[in-house]
Amino acid sequence: MAAVKIVNFVKRFGEVTAVNNLNLEIYEGEIFGLLGPNGSGKSTTLLTIATVYKPTSGDIYVFEHSVSREGDTVRKFVGIAFQEPKAMWVDTPYELLLWHAMIVGYTSHEAKNVVKETMERLNLWEHRKKQFYQLSGGTRKKLEIAKVMIQRPRLAIFDEPTAQVDVITKHALWDVVREMRDNGSTVIVATNDMFEAEKICERIAIMYRGELRTLGSVKELKDQVPGGDVVEVSFEGDREEAKDALLKLDGIGRYMLGNDKIVAYLNKGEERAAEIVSALMSAGIKVKRIMVQEPTLDDVFFYFTGARLGEG
Amino acid sequence: MDLMGDLKALGLLVRWDLTRMWRRRMFIAMRVIWFTVQVSVFGLALSAMVRFRGVVAHSIDYYHFYLFGVYTSMLFSISVSNAYEVAEEFEEGIIEYHLSLPIKRSILSTGRALGGGIAAFIFTLPMYAIVLTLLGWGSPLALFASLIAALIFSVGVVGLVLSIVLSVKSGDATDILFGIIDAIIIRLSTIFYPAVVLAKIAPYYYAALANPISHFVDLLRTLFFFEEYKILAVTDPLLMGCYLLGFAAGLVSTAIYIVERKLEGGGWR
Ligand SMILES: Nc1ncnc2c1ncn2[C@@H]1O[C@H](COP(=O)(O)OP(=O)(O)OP(=O)(O)O)[C@@H](O)[C@H]1O
Ligand SMILES: [Mg+2]
Repeated sequence: MAAVKIVNFVKRFGEVTAVNNLNLEIYEGEIFGLLGPNGSGKSTTLLTIATVYKPTSGDIYVFEHSVSREGDTVRKFVGIAFQEPKAMWVDTPYELLLWHAMIVGYTSHEAKNVVKETMERLNLWEHRKKQFYQLSGGTRKKLEIAKVMIQRPRLAIFDEPTAQVDVITKHALWDVVREMRDNGSTVIVATNDMFEAEKICERIAIMYRGELRTLGSVKELKDQVPGGDVVEVSFEGDREEAKDALLKLDGIGRYMLGNDKIVAYLNKGEERAAEIVSALMSAGIKVKRIMVQEPTLDDVFFYFTGARLGEG
Repeated sequence: MDLMGDLKALGLLVRWDLTRMWRRRMFIAMRVIWFTVQVSVFGLALSAMVRFRGVVAHSIDYYHFYLFGVYTSMLFSISVSNAYEVAEEFEEGIIEYHLSLPIKRSILSTGRALGGGIAAFIFTLPMYAIVLTLLGWGSPLALFASLIAALIFSVGVVGLVLSIVLSVKSGDATDILFGIIDAIIIRLSTIFYPAVVLAKIAPYYYAALANPISHFVDLLRTLFFFEEYKILAVTDPLLMGCYLLGFAAGLVSTAIYIVERKLEGGGWR
């Protein structure tokens, strides 16, 4: 069963089309990354999954329940940490989380325990009695995340959870996300941070201007970038012969030739390393060393979004 | 379905509004002080000057009339001031937070209407106590019935507030609309003039007759001073009670409809 199934989802705000005909499936038990530059429609999609927004057309199914028609049911499964921390002015962090814990279903006794435990884990305990305006940006963000940790929903949504958060806390939050998944939750994370996506997400969708650009595992996406892998061969022998031997192979894009080194850009470099070595050897070139580098997820991101920025 | 869960959520939503009201206790305290000044100084001065002689056969103490009027206008204003709170909540994203919680939308809207109503009711209790101390506490039944009526009235007003604020979704529109509602609707009622006096100006009279505020304030008057007000009130007490109940039920239902069917996050102007 899909945890989330997005079908022909369109969301407009007046003239602005925030999401344009999105189709996407998120599997139960995975950590799914939603990537895209600012304004690409990530938050809009997540808020509609959480039933805060209503689809303009199309629908989204959460554990097979429609967000348009069965919102009350969908909400039982979903917890969301908003991009902008919410609901903080009314009371102190402790009181707010306590109220939150009770409204998501804990008894008041259980609530006290789970709130304390969660606040301690995120180093929020010392801030429990402060007023909202006294809290730093990162602390507010952690409070927002604490709500979902407390709720332990079947579908946990984090909208840019580690924006504004320091490196140490980032790692702690990634652990939290993995733990939630290990405890049975499906997790969706929206992020602009490629490193974060690579670190925790099993599959990734890249959105651009409200549309899905690509979808797959980190590995799959990297392979989609043409000439994305960098293969660097150090050799002994004639450089022109080495070059000719290499260019006879399929799918070699750009290359750079040095005296004892050749650098080529191609797909699936890892798999084709052996082929390259044997081609060079049969041309009488002695291969001293071969190195394959994957494209970074940044390259992927640029390829699917930034590369097109100039066009539109 | 899960009745206990729903009731618990209702309770927590009421608690939300009480907490919010508690944070505004200074504002409330100012209102209570202003109220006390009004009823003691102006009220006594006015009632010395105004008698309804010539309007009705027997003379009526305007002070009785006036005190219930001032209390009602306070309860109404404080209930209406929820509008600004809800508007603020929208701007702060609290409405979106509430929309994301694992509770039914009907419970959310009912809870907020009850919560806002109960909060306004509780915080005007000191004023009501002052009124009754000045006028006498009446029979236990009158007291009890008046309290229930006050609660129903304020829940209805907050239902109206939620319906309007969540529909217009605009800070400016909220300020303007509720400024008008607070000022005009009170005047188009029997809060400060009895229906018989208003009868001379037809549009005014009919507006006052249809106005739930008139029904509430005249119900209070009739409950405590039946003999004086049975002829003066907009209608008889039972009808006034039903009218109030209908008003509250209608507006809470409207709020439920809007929250369930229409309301979504974003789009606040
Ligand atoms: N409530 C709203 N009313 C009007 N327009 C909106 C609203 N919410 C989003 N938009 C518009 O929809 C588009 C998508 O916004 P969205 O917030 O979903 O992007 P995002 O991918 O989350 O961006 P970011 O990385 O900056 O958070 C933007 O053009 C934005 O201006
Ligand atoms: Mg966003």
